[in-house]
Amino acid sequence: MGSAGTAVEEDTEAVAASGVADPWVTIVWNDPVNLMSYVTYVFESYFGYPRVKAERLMTQVHEDGRAVVSSGGRERMEVDVQAMHGFGLWATLQESGARGAA
Amino acid sequence: MTPFRAMRRGYEARFEPVERVVLARVARDVSDMLREEAGLDLFPDGDEPGFSTHPGPGKGQAWANGLLAPDELTDADLARLTGVTGVGRIPTDPAAQRLLPDASKDDTDIAAEFRRLTQNDVALAKVERLEAFAALLDLPTGEDAPSPLGRHGAPPPVRVPREEAEQFAGALTDVRLVIAERLGLKTDDQVMQLTDEIMWDRQAGREIPVATDGRAARRFWSGVFVAAGYAQETLMDVMLAELRGRRPPGSATASE
Repeated sequence: MGSAGTAVEEDTEAVAASGVADPWVTIVWNDPVNLMSYVTYVFESYFGYPRVKAERLMTQVHEDGRAVVSSGGRERMEVDVQAMHGFGLWATLQESGARGAA
Repeated sequence: MTPFRAMRRGYEARFEPVERVVLARVARDVSDMLREEAGLDLFPDGDEPGFSTHPGPGKGQAWANGLLAPDELTDADLARLTGVTGVGRIPTDPAAQRLLPDASKDDTDIAAEFRRLTQNDVALAKVERLEAFAALLDLPTGEDAPSPLGRHGAPPPVRVPREEAEQFAGALTDVRLVIAERLGLKTDDQVMQLTDEIMWDRQAGREIPVATDGRAARRFWSGVFVAAGYAQETLMDVMLAELRGRRPPGSATASE
C-alpha cells in the first residue's frame, strides 16, 4: 500500500500539532476478512467514536491499508491494542514520532 | 440461513441444521487449536494458573528448601510463582498467529513484551467465546427439548441475547479468520471473487458437495466462510442500528 506511510505521518503530525502529549499511537491494519460494518462497529462501540469518525477511520484502513485509531501513553495503547486483538482486528502500537513500518 | 433480525429477546436468524452443526464444529476446532498454540492447557484450571499436575519429587529426589529443581518447574509453576500469567509463546500455526498477532511490525521487544503480558488473556477470552458460540448453535437435544422442531415444524431460530451479541460476532470473526487463512485468502479481491462464486453457485441451485477430496473440501469450506460472513454482516446491521439508536445523532462520546 503505497500511501500508507504518508497517512500515518500525517496523522502523527496532526497529533503533534494539536499540542497533546500523546507519545504512542494504536494502528489498525487492513485485512481481507473483517467486514467494513464490523470494523465500523468496533470503532463506534469500543472507542465511542461518532459514526462519521468511525466510518472515516474504517475507510482509511480499507483504502490506505492502515489508520491511527487512538493515541496516548504506552500503557493505554497496550490496552487498546489488546482490545483490538480481542475483536479480531490486527493492531500494533508504536511511538507516534516513529516512521511507519513498511 | 435468514438474516439476523432484532427481536425482543435478542437477535434471531434461522440457520439450516447443517449450518449450525458445521459452524459449531469449526468453532470448537478453532478453540482447541488456540488452546494448544497459546499453551493454555498449561493451566489446567482454566483462567487461573494453579498447581500443576506434574508429580512431586520421587524417591531419592530432594526438595531444595521446598522448591522444585529448576528443570522440574513447569510453565504453570512459574506462572503461579511469579504471577505472570502469560507464557507468551509465539504461535506456530499461521491461523493462530492471525488471532494472536504481533503488536509491533518492526520492534520485536515490544511484540514480545506485549505477548508476555496479554496473550494468555486474549487467547482465553477467545476460547471461551468460541465455546459459548458453539453451545448456542448446538441443536436442542435431550429431555429439555422433546423435539428439535419448533411449533411450526421448522427448527427453532438461533437467538443471540443482546448482552452476548458482541461475543457471538467476535467468535464469527475468529472462525472466518481461520478459514480464510486455511483457504489462503490474502487479498480483498480473492475474498470478493470467492464470495461471488459461492453466491453464483447458490443462485444456480448447486449443492455444496460433501468434502471427499481436495477440490470439494475447498468448495465446502468456501461455503462455510461465506455463510459465516452473511451471518456476521446481517448481525452487524442490526447491532449497529441499535447502537446508533441509543445515542443522539452527532453526539461525541469519544473517549479521547
